[in-house]
Amino acid sequence: MTAPAATGGSGADADPPAPPPAPAFATDERRARASQSFWTAVVGVPAVFSVLRLGVEAGGELQTTLLLVANVGPVNLLAGFLTTAARLLSTGLVAVFALGAVLGVSVDRLPGHRRPLFARWADVTPAWFVVASFLLALVTWQLLYLPLLLPAFVAAFQLRPERLHELMPARVLIVAALLGGYLFLLMPTLLDAWHQREYLVLALLLAPPVLAPAIAGPLPGAVIRPLASITEAAVLAMLVWAALPVITTPVLPLTVTTVETAPGAIEEVRGHVVVVDDVNLVLLQERGGVRYVPIDQVKGQVLCPSEEELPRHRLRVHDFHVEDSLLEALGRRVRPVHRIDAGCRTTA
Amino acid sequence: MSQFLTRSRARSVATTVAVALTLTLAAAAGCDSRQEPEIPSVNDKLRETHIYGQPTLKIGVSTTGPLMSELHGGTYTGFDVEIARYIAGQLGYEGDRRIEWVPVSTEDRIPALQGGSVDLVVSTFSMTEDRAKLVSFAGPYLVTTQEAMVPTRLKDDIRTIEDLRDPRYKVCTSGGSTTEAELGRHQIRVFVVKEVGDCVDGILQGRYDAVSSDETILAGFLSRHPKEFTIVDMPFGTSEQIGVGVPISDPALRDLVAFFLDKSYQQGRQGVTSPWLTAYHRTLGPWMRTPKVQPPTLNVPKLVDFDDKAPRK
Repeated sequence: MTAPAATGGSGADADPPAPPPAPAFATDERRARASQSFWTAVVGVPAVFSVLRLGVEAGGELQTTLLLVANVGPVNLLAGFLTTAARLLSTGLVAVFALGAVLGVSVDRLPGHRRPLFARWADVTPAWFVVASFLLALVTWQLLYLPLLLPAFVAAFQLRPERLHELMPARVLIVAALLGGYLFLLMPTLLDAWHQREYLVLALLLAPPVLAPAIAGPLPGAVIRPLASITEAAVLAMLVWAALPVITTPVLPLTVTTVETAPGAIEEVRGHVVVVDDVNLVLLQERGGVRYVPIDQVKGQVLCPSEEELPRHRLRVHDFHVEDSLLEALGRRVRPVHRIDAGCRTTA
Repeated sequence: MSQFLTRSRARSVATTVAVALTLTLAAAAGCDSRQEPEIPSVNDKLRETHIYGQPTLKIGVSTTGPLMSELHGGTYTGFDVEIARYIAGQLGYEGDRRIEWVPVSTEDRIPALQGGSVDLVVSTFSMTEDRAKLVSFAGPYLVTTQEAMVPTRLKDDIRTIEDLRDPRYKVCTSGGSTTEAELGRHQIRVFVVKEVGDCVDGILQGRYDAVSSDETILAGFLSRHPKEFTIVDMPFGTSEQIGVGVPISDPALRDLVAFFLDKSYQQGRQGVTSPWLTAYHRTLGPWMRTPKVQPPTLNVPKLVDFDDKAPRK
């Protein structure tokens, strides 16, 4: 797809109007390299993150890390990683594909322009993988951010409004009807957001569907290079910035265990259960350190939520909390009652 | 041709603006998701209270109020006790192992809170302006009216407030209660004792002829002596808001108690059973002439909790 700049030579002199076609092997090689780097990132990043998470979870202690490595299986680790990092992963992929498509279609008009990295990644990615990434984002993103997926999708597949209908008035009517339906669906939430002075929420819910019809199409030549450089750096910075909480998210569930160390002497220990066997319950305490509790001293155990799970907004979309993903909202429909155990409140 | 170029250029500018705005929104969304919540959480509030880290919660209750708060064979029962257990559980003190019940009489409720011998008082405590200068209140969790209870033999003689003024009848009430002040406003000569139960015993022994107090307290004694007494509906005109007493020095604890009472109120409004309704039906409900509902809680703080995302319907 890329047409490198003419480098001069006899071919150029013989046929000046048409630039020479790029050598096929060079294009293939570049494509293969881009594909390789892309899949290396897709597979390698989760693997590296998983190992980093174990080290952080262990509090930086070598022996504790080894204890976790010995007891947390690779399948559990990967499943734990996907549970907590699917949102970040899908965000990264969606950003790359949407920006890649916009930059790709823009440089197509400019012969001799080197294709930006994201455009090359978007070129080599099969369409099914792009669709799968958007589906992953659809089910894992918070409802509040889901509208952003619409312009991203339109950009990734370059869906211009002309596809809706060939006649302009009909297109305007269709877009207006779709926006009207969207507003009708979200009106109670928008009013609540207005009353609560949540202006960013208003912008996040209202602006993306309005921007979506205009986002497909080539950008002016002057903005391509700065946009490519800035967005590549920004996406990388965003991934690193957003990766920090993912690395520090625990791999093991948080519990409060009631331990009777002596008759009548009750102690409650807050921490993560590493392993249980016939002799001991091994707890990774929240404040640090591993504790082996004899199994006959364990009198009770409750599962506790962590502070990171607290909501930041008090808004709902038809009884779905705006900070829930579709997957989480569905889960709450299946198990609607959520009870916080008293032990989780008082045990620090 | 030039029209086509103009349209193409306009389209190009529109795309640039759309891309730029979408990227700005995405960046704003990213920053928003990493910000600390503006609204404090229940756990944040809990850390501000004086009870945080305490192994047990000391709750002042009455031991002699049938249906409301009574001690039987070492176990506390009654509506106030059930409400106290609910609040304690929400604060992290589940089960009687984590609660230290402290018996307090009507007149000892304020000194007990001021002196720190209790963390909360849940003892049919009327929320009044005068008391609010000395202690904080969360609630109300019940609104009652003042009534009079007379022995069955006098049910045709004492029917109005005017009858209570008759010097032939000795009217009794508990000391330090709002009832005492209300009777005084109606120029009714009153005999003040420590507890309403003492009035009831006094009537049974022939020393008094009537007792005046909250309808809930009187309903409790009526449940104990259904044949000997009758409650007379009198237009005292004042309703009493019963709330939870909290030390005035601990506004965070007051906020938390108000938040949990409101949580129960909201559950009741949605038509699902609430802790308040369960407590009411198990204790007071069968003995009330007119069914009661939980009143809305006053001055409820905005807090977030882990169950905020749960479906409401």
